[in-house]
Amino acid sequence: MPVWLEANLVSVLNGFAIGFLLFILAVGLSLVFGMMDVLNLAHGALFLGGAYLGASLAGGGASWAGFLGALAIAAVAGLAAGGVLSLLTEPLRNRSHLDQALLTLGVALVVSELLIVVFGDDPLAVGAPPGLDGSVELLGAAYPTYRLALIGVGALLALAVYLVVDRTRIGALVRATVADREMVAALGVDNRLVKAAVFAVGSMLATTAGVLGGPIYGARSGLDSTVLILALVVVVIGGLGSVRGALVGALIIGQIESLGRALLPDFASFILFGALALVLVLRPRGLFGAPAAVPR
Amino acid sequence: MADLPTFTRRRLLVLAGAAGAAALLPGLAACGSSVGGGGSGGAKAVKVGLVVPRSGVYAVVGTDLQRGWELWLAGHGGKFGDYAVTTVVADEGETPQTGVPAVQKVLQSDGVDVVVGLVNSATALGVRDAIAESKKILIVANAGAGDITGKARSPYIWRSSFTNAQISSAMGTHLAQSGFKDGVYAIAPDYTAGTEVIAGFTKAFEAGGGKVVGQAKPALGKTSDYQPFLSGIQSSGAKATFSFFSGAEAITFVRQYAQFGLAKSIPLYGSGFLTEGNVLPQQADAALGVQTTLHYTDQLDNPANKEFVATYSAKYGESPSCFSVQAWDAANVLNRALRSATAVDGDTISAALGGVGTIEDSPRGPWTFEGQTPRQTIYLRRVVRTGGKLVNSVVQDLGQQSQPA
Repeated sequence: MPVWLEANLVSVLNGFAIGFLLFILAVGLSLVFGMMDVLNLAHGALFLGGAYLGASLAGGGASWAGFLGALAIAAVAGLAAGGVLSLLTEPLRNRSHLDQALLTLGVALVVSELLIVVFGDDPLAVGAPPGLDGSVELLGAAYPTYRLALIGVGALLALAVYLVVDRTRIGALVRATVADREMVAALGVDNRLVKAAVFAVGSMLATTAGVLGGPIYGARSGLDSTVLILALVVVVIGGLGSVRGALVGALIIGQIESLGRALLPDFASFILFGALALVLVLRPRGLFGAPAAVPR
Repeated sequence: MADLPTFTRRRLLVLAGAAGAAALLPGLAACGSSVGGGGSGGAKAVKVGLVVPRSGVYAVVGTDLQRGWELWLAGHGGKFGDYAVTTVVADEGETPQTGVPAVQKVLQSDGVDVVVGLVNSATALGVRDAIAESKKILIVANAGAGDITGKARSPYIWRSSFTNAQISSAMGTHLAQSGFKDGVYAIAPDYTAGTEVIAGFTKAFEAGGGKVVGQAKPALGKTSDYQPFLSGIQSSGAKATFSFFSGAEAITFVRQYAQFGLAKSIPLYGSGFLTEGNVLPQQADAALGVQTTLHYTDQLDNPANKEFVATYSAKYGESPSCFSVQAWDAANVLNRALRSATAVDGDTISAALGGVGTIEDSPRGPWTFEGQTPRQTIYLRRVVRTGGKLVNSVVQDLGQQSQPA
């Protein structure tokens, strides 16, 4: 085991870095879908918006001021974008998933086209802030410092989201809305506000993830659909509306994307969806998805 | 009521047929008139359809191609021989689904005499029959698939760019002679061009006595993190890496290759697109020392290139890429052909292109058509920083190379 771990340490670590980044991205998507039945296909575009913000403010050789500034602006922009998306989907609340998917897909297409208009179609690279832009030696293998830091930040964010959703009154309200929207409404809570708040925070996490992921993924047109697919896979594997599910799903996908591809390079493009298919066959509602509380 | 849909559909078909015929007619009329114009000795004109990507991931390449084309025309009075050139630009998009209709559009509704452009090889192969039926000339200004001027050759399709394997096999021969015989790892995206590049490299490298110790084909356009592949390269015991990526993937791969510490121990080599054009400034210091083969670099020391780089930079505010040169040369060879041609139909131009001989004033250095595709010098280039800017400096002239069989 130690020999095996030594040989694959970099891949395992990298799986955690990618996994935590995916969690930050996917948790908002999962909560909005699980709670309000809104499938937000514009989630990837939010990520890309954050990535472009990071690329333009921080650029190739990032400074701390530029990087933190990009994070702050992305967070505010994400909150606003989430609010707008919530408003847009409000008239469709009683319509089918397809209508919502069409609306948010349209928003995603418009946003990605606007991003090209504003930032151009050249792919952009984003540097890590000073001090994190080098590599560290781990058991004789070099590993980028930024990714180590990302594991730490991702773990902290995951813990914070978990505590808020699991241990606070607001979190209880969110979970109750996931479980039974009508009952919460009957108790006198305006669940449109809950939806708007979750949408805003989820979108904020997506744009923040875009900035955080910049030094790994860069910013380019097309990245939005790549990460959207990863996030959807995480949500399906983890189960709708479950924070724990999103975390476990994201960490699994992180390891599959990293360790799985390193061990089975020939199956690299198949392995992700293979795992998805396996989960769908064995646990159709995802690893942590509750059985439907309300018969539909 | 039940009959109505059928009736409507049939009527629609008739209408569509009529509309199609109507769209064709002006096209036929236009090419008829330009042929007549050439023959009668009046004001001679040639209409060119420049089909390049103006949207999608290749839009950057399309911009460079269009600039090279326009720069040649601007510098030569907008004429090929005595023929005044009119250019119609159409958007190739990313895939054959957009590229093939764009070519059909310039052929049919714009009635062009010559088609120039095409970045995607699948598009170039997909329009072969349409080009042959219309008996018009297509000059492929980028698409590098060997089949275009190989297995699927047509007398009407010529190429002013390169073949994928031409560039990589030069590197294969070079690495086999440079002390890396024991082991090279080859990595390229999983699509036609990637496969051709690796095949060309492997064939030449093994012919020189080299051994490929590992190979990976990451999914094209779906891979953003190369760490698993980089770990594979490290554990393979390779002495050097040969790679082919372009665009965003080239940026990510080169940066991560340095971040994961491979650049220090396993030198990175590649097909020239790895470090060509707009990706180089984004790769920044991670690209330093990377060596690639290509048929051009803006650092070439010849008078034609010096003038080309100077006028290009003055007009567009950035250095030219190999793509700009390929379109510039497409105009260049058409000019040579039309100096002697008496008409602008495909058969006449094709015959004239066969007789243009050595193109000695190209920025890439002298080259000739061989089997309708360039036989040209391939350069070994290394990324260095000069005057605060990253450039591909020339290390070695690897000699004239044909399209590998």
